[in-house]
Amino acid sequence: MKDIRILLAGNPNVGKTTLFNSLCGVHQHTGNYPGVTVEIKTGKRQMNEHSIIVSDLPGTYSLSAFTPDEQVARDALLTSGPDAVVQIIDATNIERNLFLTTQLMEIGLPMIIALNMCDLAEEQGITIDADCLEKNLKIPVVRIVARKGEGIEELIKTIIRVSTNKTPAFHREVEYPHSVTSHISEIGNYLGAHGTLLGSLSPHYAAIRLMEGDEHLEKMLHEKGLTIPFIDTSDPAERDGIVEDILLARYRAAEEITTCSVKCSMGRVMPGDLIDQVLTHRIFGIPIFLSCMWFAFQLTFSASNPFLVGIEYIFGYLTELMNSVEMDPFVRSFLSDGVIGGVGSVLVFVPSIFVMFLLLSILEDTGYLARAAFVMDRLMHSVGLHGRSFIPFLIGFGCNVPAIMATRTLQSKADRIITIITIPFMSCAARLPVYVLFAGVFFGAAAGNVIFFLYVLGIAVAILSALIFRRLVFRDEPSPFIMELPPYRKPSGFAAAVHMWFKGREYLKRAGLVIFGGVIVVWALATLPAGVEYGSADSLAGIIGQALQPVFAPLGFNWQLVVGLIFGFIAKEVVVGSLGTLYGGEEMLESSLAADPTLHPIIALAYMVFVLLYLPCVAALGVIRQEMRSWKWTGIAIGWGILVAYVFAFIILHVGSLVIGA
Amino acid sequence: MVPLSFTNTGEKVVVRSICGTGHLAKTLGQLGIIIGIELTIIQKAKESVIVRIGESRYALGAGAASMVLVEPL
Repeated sequence: MKDIRILLAGNPNVGKTTLFNSLCGVHQHTGNYPGVTVEIKTGKRQMNEHSIIVSDLPGTYSLSAFTPDEQVARDALLTSGPDAVVQIIDATNIERNLFLTTQLMEIGLPMIIALNMCDLAEEQGITIDADCLEKNLKIPVVRIVARKGEGIEELIKTIIRVSTNKTPAFHREVEYPHSVTSHISEIGNYLGAHGTLLGSLSPHYAAIRLMEGDEHLEKMLHEKGLTIPFIDTSDPAERDGIVEDILLARYRAAEEITTCSVKCSMGRVMPGDLIDQVLTHRIFGIPIFLSCMWFAFQLTFSASNPFLVGIEYIFGYLTELMNSVEMDPFVRSFLSDGVIGGVGSVLVFVPSIFVMFLLLSILEDTGYLARAAFVMDRLMHSVGLHGRSFIPFLIGFGCNVPAIMATRTLQSKADRIITIITIPFMSCAARLPVYVLFAGVFFGAAAGNVIFFLYVLGIAVAILSALIFRRLVFRDEPSPFIMELPPYRKPSGFAAAVHMWFKGREYLKRAGLVIFGGVIVVWALATLPAGVEYGSADSLAGIIGQALQPVFAPLGFNWQLVVGLIFGFIAKEVVVGSLGTLYGGEEMLESSLAADPTLHPIIALAYMVFVLLYLPCVAALGVIRQEMRSWKWTGIAIGWGILVAYVFAFIILHVGSLVIGA
Repeated sequence: MVPLSFTNTGEKVVVRSICGTGHLAKTLGQLGIIIGIELTIIQKAKESVIVRIGESRYALGAGAASMVLVEPL
């Protein structure tokens, strides 16, 4: 039996990723703000003898391909030759979603409409006649509630029925005015005569795309030496008029279909207007946002504390157990210093990271994050950033890697480059263990405030960098801010917990592989050459650290801290693991640091600032290269980070020493 | 006719004209902000606005809001 290949299409924030999860059972992140899905994710579902391969496209409002997101969706739809396209429609907002339907229908692929959030629509007094919708569109419509898994079985059956049906798809056609249709047939006939050039596009559809201004297709045809009627012979004003006629015809079609199949009960209130007026208030908006963030950070530390104590206890017990068993001293050192010491010092911080993911996910699911982007836009704009950059920044607090990938929703290249350069200053979860360790040892009760300061400093440096690059390098304005605000939704504790679990598991996987590998390398460097005292100045790590230490002497770092920085490039949490190893085991780390005479609180602060700013990890660097598509800009991003880190750590150390009179 | 950035919270307006024909105008068009459509101003913060069309809400920064010319209903 041949595999059935389907594409999931739809507007942003209609529950596409949730449906993808319930179809394929692959849980992944779903966000309640536009622009979460930036890559095509593929999953598989087995039903009797059929295998269905599902690809989740980025959410788009149209197929015009202005943003990289839209290009990805368009290319998949036009060139990958799927067996069917499933469009997910938000039942509470049908007319808006049908605009995309009018464009999808024209491609001529078999289609199915999944009418999502039917339960919410009912609650809001919206009655939908699915049969009428189906007849009007000539596309099968299936009611689902993706969040609860309702209607999924029925949807799969429909997918199989539609994609194994041999007769070609005939959907409703948008009625364009004569001014448009005459040109469509003129261009279509011309292209029909050169049909082989178009690949899988029908001449009729290619004509519509050209009229809409598909520059990619136009360029392709020009390269083949064609002179396209109308497109190449009319003036821009006339073409703009046609673009508008096409747009209007589509909206009219969407409106007509909605009018006959959707009934709204009279006098229903628009939920959310009032909440919006408070949350996005020109004066209260920013304080509300900042208090939300402050509260989230405080909660992260207090809620994770009991788990922390438990984990510390278990690892302490394991080390004791290891020491009480007879074994070769070399093996014992490997197990207790390398494995238990290194991995343990990373695992201790897992609870805080889990709690942070949980809180971010809840904030996101309610729809508040998109409002926060609006509140922040004015601020962002004034420092030369696009309001939309705010979302990658927030993701960056979890992990810089998906954050850098999320910059694909930005339209202008300058906006993207500036955002990518500044994202690494957003303090990711991996940096938290370093702060927790140093702030805990050197600042005691003030640790929470110190950590909050570091996050704020990261944001301030990002703002400064953005200003410098916008004013001095690009010398233009950020492109205008336009963004859909999703409806407010009750966050589901279950979904948030699932999200937390998968994000946290990702972190654990890294702790298990990259970090474990890193810790072993550190252990080897600290043990070799054979016979030296573990982690002493004579070990390889000590030699490397001492060789580089003079460079960092103006910042007050001792050689152990320098070694930590070098290994931190593998992943920032490795800083803690390698210090654990160099200071003779995780359970001793805190007391050894506190007892080290070469360290004091100001150096600790300078070190935390350096770790915050200096270099993204290997993984983030790989993504920066991939998204910048330029070694030059990747190099600039790296060099800028190191420079800024050095300067700030230097200032902190010297100003700080002056202040406390040391 | 005034730019969207000169309206007040709570006002209902009709879009009369969209300045320019570049990407911005096209993006607005895809979101349903086209000539003749009715908007409700939900929030106005300095020159940025949040508008509602039917069930959808859109946030427009000052730059985008100044390009949409509207007339109060």
